[in-house]
Amino acid sequence: MRATRFHLLHMITGVLIAVLLGIHMVRLHLDSILDWFGVDTTGSTSWESMIARASEGIWAALYIALLAVALYHALYGLRGIILELTPSAKGGRIITWSFIIIGIGAFGWGTYVPLHLLSS
Amino acid sequence: MQPRQNYLGAGGWVWAGKYKLERYLYLLHRITGLGLLLFGVIHLIITTFYRYRGESVWESAMSTLSNPAFRVGEYLVAAAFVFHALNGLRLIWQEFGFGLGRPAPPIYPYKDALRKKRRWAIAMIAVVAVLALVLLGDFIAGGP
Repeated sequence: MRATRFHLLHMITGVLIAVLLGIHMVRLHLDSILDWFGVDTTGSTSWESMIARASEGIWAALYIALLAVALYHALYGLRGIILELTPSAKGGRIITWSFIIIGIGAFGWGTYVPLHLLSS
Repeated sequence: MQPRQNYLGAGGWVWAGKYKLERYLYLLHRITGLGLLLFGVIHLIITTFYRYRGESVWESAMSTLSNPAFRVGEYLVAAAFVFHALNGLRLIWQEFGFGLGRPAPPIYPYKDALRKKRRWAIAMIAVVAVLALVLLGDFIAGGP
């Protein structure tokens, strides 16, 4: 039953990634298409543009949310692939807990930097 | 113990055996997923460590990433995202039982999974192809 909930969460995070990463991709990488709609995204990877976005709470919130759902979705997916190799029960637990620790560590570091920029 | 029919083992990660289109979509879903994970790790490193070290390091990294080899890689990541997202939505759609048709008694000639038309899968591939071409046009036009 617990595995079903985790799998359901995997699907929900997949949909959330499609939305949040879609916003990120369009804003940062589809500049010539956005130009058609009159949105100027020139130099969106420049330091000034990046700092300007980082100092806006809505962008910081979007990136932190994206990081959380992407980490869960990616690590749960990778765990599933590795568990297909049918490790022992103990091996499976080690893999699961390793991914939990990696995920929490990556989320902590990935959240610290945008929050640091937001407050500076 | 009899060997399981259609059991492909780890070899099934690269070869679909008797299975049809969906199996190859599954393989591509896995490959694009692993590729996106690899890119995500690199992206997280650049947007945290490099950003934290200040403007000159950031601009130097962005300058390096703007060369054609990285631009091609960037396009592949964007195309992989489009495929992975749309195929993932198709899988969710089917997991909840939509688009599978009503159950029917097995009357000859059988309508089984190997011979049925795959309208949803083909429609999804068409959308992926169109979006991939749109992205390609944008990248050729010179996005960042």
